Amino acid sequence: MQTVANIVVLAAIYALIGSGYVLIYRVSRVLNLAQGELMMLVAYLLFSLATLFGGHPASALAGAVLLSLLVGFVLYVVLMRRMTGELVIAAVLVTIALGILLRGLMVLVWTGQMQRPLEKLGWQNPPVALGQGVAMSSVALATIFFAIAIYVALFVFFRYTAWGVRMRAVGENPLLAAQRGIKLHVAYAMAWALATFTGGCAGMLLALDSGLDGTMAIVGLKAFPVVLVGGLDSLRGAVVGAIVVATAEVLAIQLIDPLVSDVVPFVVLIAMLAVRPWGLFGTEEEIQRV
Amino acid sequence: MTMKRNQVMLAVVLGALVSAPPAAALAADSYVLGLTGDLTGRDSANSGAVADGIRIYFDRVNRAGGINGHKVEVVVRDNQSEPSRAATDAQTFVNNEDLLLMITASLSSTYAPTISESKRKGVPVLFAGGVCPREVFPPSPDPLLFCTSGYAAETDVKFAVDYIQSVQANATLGLISMAIPISRGSLDQAAAYAKGKGMKVIGHESAPPPTANYTPYATKLKESGADWVLSWAPWVTQVKTFEALRQLGWKGRFISYGHNVAEEELKRIKDPGFLVFTTNAMFSDGQPVHKDVLGAAEGKTKFPPTYLNEGWVAAMVLESALKKAGWPANRAKLASAMSELSVDLRGLRGGPITWSKANHYRQQLFYRVYGWDGAGNRIKTLQDWTSREVK
Repeated sequence: MQTVANIVVLAAIYALIGSGYVLIYRVSRVLNLAQGELMMLVAYLLFSLATLFGGHPASALAGAVLLSLLVGFVLYVVLMRRMTGELVIAAVLVTIALGILLRGLMVLVWTGQMQRPLEKLGWQNPPVALGQGVAMSSVALATIFFAIAIYVALFVFFRYTAWGVRMRAVGENPLLAAQRGIKLHVAYAMAWALATFTGGCAGMLLALDSGLDGTMAIVGLKAFPVVLVGGLDSLRGAVVGAIVVATAEVLAIQLIDPLVSDVVPFVVLIAMLAVRPWGLFGTEEEIQRV
Repeated sequence: MTMKRNQVMLAVVLGALVSAPPAAALAADSYVLGLTGDLTGRDSANSGAVADGIRIYFDRVNRAGGINGHKVEVVVRDNQSEPSRAATDAQTFVNNEDLLLMITASLSSTYAPTISESKRKGVPVLFAGGVCPREVFPPSPDPLLFCTSGYAAETDVKFAVDYIQSVQANATLGLISMAIPISRGSLDQAAAYAKGKGMKVIGHESAPPPTANYTPYATKLKESGADWVLSWAPWVTQVKTFEALRQLGWKGRFISYGHNVAEEELKRIKDPGFLVFTTNAMFSDGQPVHKDVLGAAEGKTKFPPTYLNEGWVAAMVLESALKKAGWPANRAKLASAMSELSVDLRGLRGGPITWSKANHYRQQLFYRVYGWDGAGNRIKTLQDWTSREVK
């Protein structure tokens, strides 16, 4: 049973990170390879706010959430907007450069040493016994809760709100959407803001659970196979991909060899690319276009 | 108008050239050392603190008049633990004829280009804070390579296994490494050594760097029945596995190598079951040298001063070597001085660093085991300095 709990926690982390990749790709067809750095940036922002508002954790968390939305929005307006109309590969390369830049800046500002935002917030992370000998940390339990809550919120947003429907329309056919009066740049900026927020949530929760250092960006990149397995333009696919990859990874640790766990997500990915290159829930047309 | 502006700019440039002191003239009056370190890369928490320790130490030496009446100038370059950057740094350093020695404070992946450049131009290299390369160990070390870093994989893990056995003869031992060759290899050696001593070894988990969640590795260690876990790995793997084990309700004891962050981490974790073995004395010992470091470092580093021990040790050794090399010094004289050197570390470690022509690491390693005293709410020494001969 503990193995199942481990799979669920890892899947929740991957699903949260993966949602960021999907949101931007689905709306703008840009693969954001700075997703790991953005989640790390938000985690560091939480750390700084927690240091500033140590006695008021709610203020620090609310501030970090708002800043995550703002960072994504500003990045689009200042940087990615200029890539509109350019080749998709050029935009992808810009996100790689952005990631390198952010990584360097974060070390300069926060150094490479391990930071502990949980302690700055004045919180503890006690284990939670779930019965039958299964236990997990409080933050791990919160990660599962937030992953579910965020996916439900995204589902409601895209299905039932005007801007959600507009963003879907922009993703499906930007030209037609523009002709119908939808402001493309607003939709793209919202996608970047939402993606930074969801990835940032993953970063904050990881940092609260086990600390924060410069390696978090690589964890963000490790979630990349998740979205390719699930389908780059499908949020549902990101959830299923997260469960598939997390299951393969945890079972490899448990049953084969821990060393294999690093390779397993990519084995799953290669198998998926061979059988169904557009992923479990991705759109066939889209992947052919890529 | 344009001509006038050009004339003004020319005057400014000429003025700057005339008024700026020539670098060679400055260098001629001082001992010039080059440090290539990971200041903003993935090992910056460790290597950056080493660089800060060296910088702060020589600032103090210079304020007190320098060495043999000459100041020490440390030229620092950031290699981010990237081999290509380290190669560029090393080329720049060896081509500076005034530079006497290179200091390397970064991951071992940067060593090859540095060593290659060092040999090309006969520049001695001191490895500080990172793992010591094979070329410094006895019986035939490279005449240009030296190391002050506290840890030595094989000797370290053997000491830890012996310690565990001395505390609990029938311990069931689990091992956790990071999936990098040096960490994994050293714990494979630990497993073989422990088995040879009749201990029960139930498994060796190896977590990739980095890992989103250490609980699956901890689950396996817990379920296999380990009552002791030994780790010799980068700090992140050690502490995150321990914390994941505790989250699962594991009650055993965990012993790990005490990197520079260990002292602050012991104070944070406050768990009597979390032990560190180390070659560096902790600042909680409160020795005069620790007070010196704390005083000198105040406001001069982004790191907690307790991180500075490795850099401080390296700088103490370099100060002794430069004193011995005299003035004027050159690369060959300095290498020669370093190859017969003994430095009293004034309590920063359990004994001196002694180099000879046959050993550029040290003759003896001294280990201490620290843990958390729950009742006294402080760090306590669980086993005092124990020496191991380096063969």
